Amino acid sequence: MKYTITHTTTYTYSEPASLSQNELFLTPRPTDTQQVADTGLTILPEPQYLSSRLDYFGNLAHVFMVQHPHKELAMTAVSTVTTSAPATPDPENTSPWETVASRLSGYADPVDLSAYQYVFESPLVNLPPGVREYARVSFPPGMTILAGALDLNRRIFTEFTYDKAATTVDTPIARVLANRKGVCQDFAHLFIACFRSLGLAARYVSGYLETLPPPGKPKLVGADASHAWVSVFVPDFGWVDLDPTNNLITGERHITLAWGRDYGDVTPVKGVVMGGGMHTLSVMVDVSPRN
Amino acid sequence: MADSSDNPVSIFKSVVSPKLGFPEAWVAQGQFRAHWKPVVDFLDKARPGVIKQRHDRVKRMRYEDGATFNPFDESSERLTPWNLDIIPFPVTAGEWKNLETGLIQRASLLENILADIYGPQSLIHGGQIPAEMIFANTHFLRACHGIQPAGNRFLTLYAVDVYRDENGGFRVLRDYGACPQGLGYALENRIVMSRVLSDFYHDTPVCRLAPFFQAFHSSLVQRAALRQKDPRIVLLSPGPDSPIYFEHALLSRYLNYPLVEGQDLTVRNGEVFLKKLNGLEPVEAIFRHTKDETSDPFALRRGTATGVAGLIQVCREQNIEIINPIGSGFVETPALSALLPALCRHMMGNDLILGNHPAWWCKDGESRNHVVNHLDELVVRHALKRSSTHQLPANLKQAIMETPYAFMASEPVRPSSVPVWDRTRVQSHFALMRVFVCATENGFSVMPGGLCITAPDVKTLLGTCPEKQQSKDIWVASDHPVEPFSLISGLQTAAEFNRSSDLPSRVADHLLWLGRYMERAEGRVRLLRSVFRRIAGESRMADIDELPFLLRLMHGHNTQPPLSVKGNSIIAYRKLLAHMNNAMYDKDRPESLVTIIHQVQQAARHVRDWFSVDSWRVINRLKDMGGTPADDPIELLDDILFALNAFSGLAMESMTRGLGWRFMDMGRRIERGINHTGLIRAGLSQLYGESPAILEALLEVSASIMTYRSRYRTTFQLAPVLDLLLIDESNPKSLAFQCSQLAAHVEQLPRQNERRFSNPEERIVLSMLTSVRLLDLTGINCQNSESDNPAISTFLETMEENLKEFAQVVSAHYLSRVPATPHYSVIAGDSEP
Repeated sequence: MKYTITHTTTYTYSEPASLSQNELFLTPRPTDTQQVADTGLTILPEPQYLSSRLDYFGNLAHVFMVQHPHKELAMTAVSTVTTSAPATPDPENTSPWETVASRLSGYADPVDLSAYQYVFESPLVNLPPGVREYARVSFPPGMTILAGALDLNRRIFTEFTYDKAATTVDTPIARVLANRKGVCQDFAHLFIACFRSLGLAARYVSGYLETLPPPGKPKLVGADASHAWVSVFVPDFGWVDLDPTNNLITGERHITLAWGRDYGDVTPVKGVVMGGGMHTLSVMVDVSPRN
Repeated sequence: MADSSDNPVSIFKSVVSPKLGFPEAWVAQGQFRAHWKPVVDFLDKARPGVIKQRHDRVKRMRYEDGATFNPFDESSERLTPWNLDIIPFPVTAGEWKNLETGLIQRASLLENILADIYGPQSLIHGGQIPAEMIFANTHFLRACHGIQPAGNRFLTLYAVDVYRDENGGFRVLRDYGACPQGLGYALENRIVMSRVLSDFYHDTPVCRLAPFFQAFHSSLVQRAALRQKDPRIVLLSPGPDSPIYFEHALLSRYLNYPLVEGQDLTVRNGEVFLKKLNGLEPVEAIFRHTKDETSDPFALRRGTATGVAGLIQVCREQNIEIINPIGSGFVETPALSALLPALCRHMMGNDLILGNHPAWWCKDGESRNHVVNHLDELVVRHALKRSSTHQLPANLKQAIMETPYAFMASEPVRPSSVPVWDRTRVQSHFALMRVFVCATENGFSVMPGGLCITAPDVKTLLGTCPEKQQSKDIWVASDHPVEPFSLISGLQTAAEFNRSSDLPSRVADHLLWLGRYMERAEGRVRLLRSVFRRIAGESRMADIDELPFLLRLMHGHNTQPPLSVKGNSIIAYRKLLAHMNNAMYDKDRPESLVTIIHQVQQAARHVRDWFSVDSWRVINRLKDMGGTPADDPIELLDDILFALNAFSGLAMESMTRGLGWRFMDMGRRIERGINHTGLIRAGLSQLYGESPAILEALLEVSASIMTYRSRYRTTFQLAPVLDLLLIDESNPKSLAFQCSQLAAHVEQLPRQNERRFSNPEERIVLSMLTSVRLLDLTGINCQNSESDNPAISTFLETMEENLKEFAQVVSAHYLSRVPATPHYSVIAGDSEP
């Protein structure tokens, strides 16, 4: 599928902000199943300082600063990507999870070594009591890694309620686990914590999902949203992306922006502003199919 | 204890050395090592009384220099980090040379490791460093990966704790790489010791510390000078709440790097700037005393107030030289030292010279077995976390088997023992040495000396609580004659920002308030003293005409109801005393003297590097006053007034007439103006009475009595009194004088091409000056009642309002500090239907 994604974030300040610096992870990352044809970033007011780099995890990050008083800051990223459905190994033919865990901690080859960094706790993914127990239900002894992952994906989807009001950016995993409520970010973090509690590698993926309008209704522009899911390491195959919010193996409609250990590594828009008083935020995301 | 004058017995004789550990000072009881002999002989020549005297002097000097744990702490206990011991710690030239060689090798090795970890990571890929060392280690900062430090040095100031094992060999206990602590205390120790034991110190060939600081500074300049001839260097401190803020202020003064806090710095265009009254001034180098993880709230931990948002981006751009580069705290990872022997062979091609304290990282199978089999004899700890706040799991063995990389174990430390002076006699304590190493153009340079840390027990010695430990000055014997070099020369002049008279807005703000609080305290003291003087006399209270007037003046300041002094004289007297007591000591009252003095100290602590050491001694003395009710309040008030005057005299005297001085003086003028108009206003109705005593009292509390007497002898009349207090510009206490001074200051404040009198502060001060000059006092006399002369009270009211508005306008224009608020996008990805 070919998509054009438009992602606009606007901050409106009650008083002029004198200085604003931001870091953006809004440029889609090229992958085996995603070609990035064209990307562009527009920032208003025009920043005095703009710099981009590949971060520790290989994502493209933009850092910019607006250094004169402004009451509104708008960032728009427009990208055109072509996605294809990933190949997925037969879950039953993947390695037992215990083998995967011991292979990771042995990290004999560079691929295993690079996956191994996603086995450890990270700032937003800690391992509170109960996580391991929750994970073990999907991973009885000898369970193959992908079959277990799909089961975990399904359980989070069925046992947890999607609730935007239940959590914030900082909600700890322990509370998500206790309340059984959250948004895609919480489900991704919980999934990752379950994996890591077993010594398995899982990373956080930030991106978009094309939404389909209800049958017979036109699609509304800007009704889409940022999305998040997970990617799990399957030895001798690579990374397989799973979407616990929707109980899916990701497909053509998932567009990848960036990945890292957790949300904190790849926050799409993050910033510090001096002054500005109260701010209001508006986010518009539009994922439009192209032909 | 034997009296040494009659029967010279060594004061060291009674010391019982612990059974374990290497004795630093002697080979056997009474038989001293050669390099300790001069110290022992010198101290033995002095009587214990003299030693005690000198030791007390050490304590006092440390205290007056402000090295106390928290000089403004409410508690009466004087906690000092690393309390200084009078007995130095001598080290022979030969031994030091070996230590030095070992430390230079270790510093080079650690720097090479940092360069690899934050660069190609070939040590991880090659298997020399297990991957958990970075993957599971919060001391490794991913945000800093790929950054090449501007000066190409990854480790620029390094410190290490070494102890002497039972065989007398040095072993490394801990490494410090982010912002090593104790350098300032080592400097302070040397300054104090060289003065208290000056006779002995100057006769002994001890290596001087000053050349180390010179090397530190010149190599920093050399590294930072890549872009600029005369780089601007600042010392970044977390602020006065840091328990070792003293060290930051001392180093700032000694090295002449302005002391700044995170909010003083800002990042623009990928460069760091210092926020000053006149605008932004570029900064090329930062000597930071903030931790790695709190250095940049934007790139690292959210919500930290001590760092500078965007600092890491500046590092990426190579536009700043930081001591040490952010992320260098990696070398503090406890388990790293276990890898050093192998890494040294791998990277440097030779063996590690300086031994580690025996420790095993459980990541390695053999080490793990050793640990698990010797759990009872070893001390287990987290391998990748420095802080000891993380509890160890209950089932240690199981935890080690599950996540072996997270644990390490070491043998118990058996440090050497040294003689220390303990109040009245010599005792034996345990010791370790903190030694400092800095990067120079030719590798590394070791400070010949340092902080010898001592404690009565090993647990305290190894703990991280400097205020429970003592310290000694390490005296490294010099094998060649030492050149006399004064450490103090750089310290006696107060550090003015030497490139221009401009200063950080935050500092100006604190200076303005310091001026205001000092003046407020002074006015308060004068008023209280006037009351005490009168009730201390023999007159019956009811007969003192001016007493109700003075109490009314106090009421003008106070929330307390005015006190009647009529009626039963004993009851009234007691009531009055209680009232006065509250006015002096009640901490909950915003206008009590103790509260105001506290405010003086609070304001002063934020700008302490602006004042000379002498001024600091006075401020610290002020702290001792006004804590508990004094026997003689008049004497106490005299002392406080004396200290306040001494501080303002010293502070004003030692500051150049730059903007800092202007802001502090403006604070004084504003407050004095408000105070005096307030006094006259509060007492006006009574002033219209007839009592010369009341007029005299007003002159007394306004500190103008001498001036009045010299002009008018003893005739007290309202018109000349008001003339002197309000209009007479030659009287430094008059309102007109305050206004004309403010006008002069305002004229000198930085402005951005603005027209004269276009600022609100200029307009207000001009209007004040005009109206006070035009004030007409003819026809005023004591027979007039207040209602006959509404002009005066209206005038006073307007002046008071104008002064307050002036203060607000100046703050808004020059000093307003805007808080930073972080924002983050929220993901709430939609669930599909």
